[in-house]
Amino acid sequence: MLSALHPLPKLALCLIWIAALVLVFDLRLQLAGLILALGLLWGVERIALGRLVLLMVPFALFGFGLLTTSVLFHRESGFVLQMAQEQGAAQPDAAPGLVLFTRVLACGMISTLFALTTDPGRLVRVLMIHLRLPAAFGFAMLQAMHIVPDLRRELLTLRMARAMRRGRPMRRVPGPTEVMSLAIPLLAFAIRRATRAAIAMEARGLRPGQPRTHLPQPPVRGGDIAALAGGVILLIGLLMAL
Amino acid sequence: MTPPLPDALRCTGVSLRYPEAARDAVGPVSLRLRAGERRLLLGPSGSGKSTLLHSLTGLIPASIPGERRGEVALFGRPSESRRPADWADSVAILFQDADQTLAGFTVADEIAFALENRELPPAVIAESVRAALRRAGLPPDWTARRIGSLSGGQRQMVALAAILAQAPKLILADEPTASLAPAAARLAAELLLAPGQSVLIVDHRLGPVLDRIDGVSVLNRQGQMLAEGSPQDVFGSHGGDLDAQGIWTPLAVRVRLALAKQGHALPQVWRMEDLLPHLPLGLELSRLVGKPPAPLGPPILRLERAACAPPDGPVVVAGIDLTLNAGEVLGILGPNGAGKSTLGACLAGLLPLRTGRRSGPAGAMAFQNPEAHFVTDSVQGELVAMGATPDQVRAGLAQWSLTGLADQHPYTLSMGQKRRLALAALTAARPWPVLVLDEPTSGLDHAGSFAAARQIAALAARGQAVVVITHDADFALSVCDRIVLLADGGIVADGPPALVLRDAERLERHGLARPEAAALLDLGVPC
Repeated sequence: MLSALHPLPKLALCLIWIAALVLVFDLRLQLAGLILALGLLWGVERIALGRLVLLMVPFALFGFGLLTTSVLFHRESGFVLQMAQEQGAAQPDAAPGLVLFTRVLACGMISTLFALTTDPGRLVRVLMIHLRLPAAFGFAMLQAMHIVPDLRRELLTLRMARAMRRGRPMRRVPGPTEVMSLAIPLLAFAIRRATRAAIAMEARGLRPGQPRTHLPQPPVRGGDIAALAGGVILLIGLLMAL
Repeated sequence: MTPPLPDALRCTGVSLRYPEAARDAVGPVSLRLRAGERRLLLGPSGSGKSTLLHSLTGLIPASIPGERRGEVALFGRPSESRRPADWADSVAILFQDADQTLAGFTVADEIAFALENRELPPAVIAESVRAALRRAGLPPDWTARRIGSLSGGQRQMVALAAILAQAPKLILADEPTASLAPAAARLAAELLLAPGQSVLIVDHRLGPVLDRIDGVSVLNRQGQMLAEGSPQDVFGSHGGDLDAQGIWTPLAVRVRLALAKQGHALPQVWRMEDLLPHLPLGLELSRLVGKPPAPLGPPILRLERAACAPPDGPVVVAGIDLTLNAGEVLGILGPNGAGKSTLGACLAGLLPLRTGRRSGPAGAMAFQNPEAHFVTDSVQGELVAMGATPDQVRAGLAQWSLTGLADQHPYTLSMGQKRRLALAALTAARPWPVLVLDEPTSGLDHAGSFAAARQIAALAARGQAVVVITHDADFALSVCDRIVLLADGGIVADGPPALVLRDAERLERHGLARPEAAALLDLGVPC
C-alpha cells in the first residue's frame, strides 16, 4: 500500500516527521514515531520483524554510546546535556541519553520505511522532473544503484579467481586480509564501469545542462495528498497532546 | 531531379593513436558507407575495429583520450562539427559490453533514455518504448523490470530495443551478438540489419549476419584495409588472405580452403548451399568440422543429484547427475540465464553445491569476464603469477600470440587479447585436473579460436578433463566429446555432439540453433 504512494509526498511526510523528532526532545514523541513506522512496515507492508531488527542494527550502534552512559552509569555525557539544552522545545521527560537513542532509532525506522516502500528509480525520476535534479547527477545515481549488484557479482568472481590461485576452497566469509586485497580491484572495476557508462550516455545524447523531456510518470493523486495530510494531522495532534 | 543522398559515413585516411602508444591503434583507413548500406567490418583481435567505431562520432578524442588524423564525415558533415552527444539524433552506437553501458534503472527508462535527450514529447516516447519492445520480441510487461534483474543476454536485447527506439539513420554496432544465444542472435541481426538501414557492424560471429550484409571491409593486424567489397568479392577471392590473418571467414570458405590443401579445387563460393553440390563424394567431412573420437580415461569428477546456486541466490539448476572422465571435453550449451556458469563453477569446485554431492579434485575456471583473472601490471606478469617458469612464460605467450604484448598492461588489451591472456595464464603452468572454460571464444578472432581449440585438445590429450561453456555450437562440435544441454533448471540432453547438435527441434525449443556445420553432417556422415 505504501509502495503505491507517489514518492514526493511520501518523502515530504517522512522529512516532516524526522524534523519534528529532531526538534522536539520528548521521549513519547520519539517512541510514537518509532512505533508508528514499525507498525506500518510490519503490519501493513508485511516486512518480517527479524529483517527490520537487522536493519536497525547500524542505527542502534550509533545511538548505543548515548544510551550506555545514561542508563548503565546513570550519568549524562557533556554532549548529551548540551544537545538537550540546545533544543528549543526541550521538555526532558526521561534521561536525555535515552531520548537521543530513541530518536536515532525512530529517525532510522522512518528512513527505512521510505527506503523499503519506494522504488529508487522512480524516486530519482520524480526528483529530476519535479525538483530539477540535474539529469547527469540523476543518471549517475541510477548507475551507482546498478553497480551494487554487479559489484557483488564481480566480488564473487574475484574471490573464486583468488581461491583458485591459492588452491584452496573459497571461504564462506572473506577475512580482513582478503577484503583488503579485493578493495582495489573492486574500486578499479567501479571506475572502469562508471567511465564506460558515462561514454555510453554521452553517445546516446546526454548533455549536461541541456533540457530533456521525460517518459510519462504517474502523477500525484488525491490519495497521495490525503496520505500526506493525514500524516501531518496525526503529528500535529500528537504534538498538541504532549 | 533529386540530389543523391550523401554517404552515411565516409572516412578518409583516418588514423587513431592512444596517448603514449608507440604506434597507431588503427589506420590509415578509408571507408565509405552509402546511405542504406549494411557493411560488416572484420579484422583480427586488436586490429582497432572498436577504436575506429568509437572515433566516428568523435568520442575519440572528445571523451576518450587519443589522437585522430584524417577526416570523418557523417551524412556529408565533418564529424567534429558537432559534439558526440549531438550526433545521437542520427547515429546510434551499440557498445560491445552492453551490460555495462545501460543508463536506465528499468527497461522502459533504458529504451526512453535517448528519446528523452532529444526532447521528444512524452506521449511519443511512451509509444516508441512499446513499439521497440514489440520489435525486439520482449514481453510488454518488461517495461517496469529492473535492468539489474536481467541476464547479460537479456540486457543486450534491451540495449538493442533502445537502439531501435532511436530510429537512427546510422547504426554502429560493436559485436552485438557476442553474448546472445543463437535464436536471440538471429533476431538481433535481423533487426539491426533490416534492409534500407545504414549499418556498420563489427562481429566475429558471422553466421547470423552473413545473409544480411551488402559489403565487407577487412582490417589487417596493423589496422589497415586488407580487403573491401561485396561478400562474394571478399570471401570468394580473399578467403585465403583472411584465413592467413586469423580472421573469421564463413564455414564454406574454411571448408573450401581445407579441401584445397588436400588437393580438391572447388569454386570460390562463400555460402554453404553453393558449396555443397561441389563437394567431392566419399570425403570424410566429419573430420573437418568435428572432433575425431578419442579414448577416454577413468572417471575423474562426479556430481550426484546436485543443486547449484550462486552464494545467497536461488538454485538455478537442480537434479544434476554428471560424470567427467579424464581426457574428456564436455560442452555445456543452453539459453541465456540457464545457469551454465553457475554449474561450471560447481564443477570446478569453486562454488559449494546447495544440495547433492561432488566427488573429485579441485579444478580451475576461466571466467566469462577475463579481467577477473588479472592481478599484475603486465601480460607476462600474469603468467608468472600463476607459477609459470620463464620457459613456460615464453611458450605460453607464443602459443596464444601474445609475445609482442609481453610488457603491456592487461587492461589495455582488446577483449579478444584479454581472453587469450586469461587462457594462457590458466594453462601455462599448472596441469589442472578439471578446467572449466566459460565462453572461451567470445570476442576471439579465428586464430584465437583455433588456438583455443588446439589447446583444449592438447589438455585433453594430457588426461585433463575440460568443460567448455559456449553459445558457439560450431566450436562445441569441433572440440567436444560430449554435449550437455542445460535448460529449464536441469539437463535436457546429454550425448555425442553430432547427435545432440543436430536435433533442430529441441535446440530451437530452448532458443538455440544447429551449428552451421550440421549441413555437412547431414550428408550421411555416421554419428
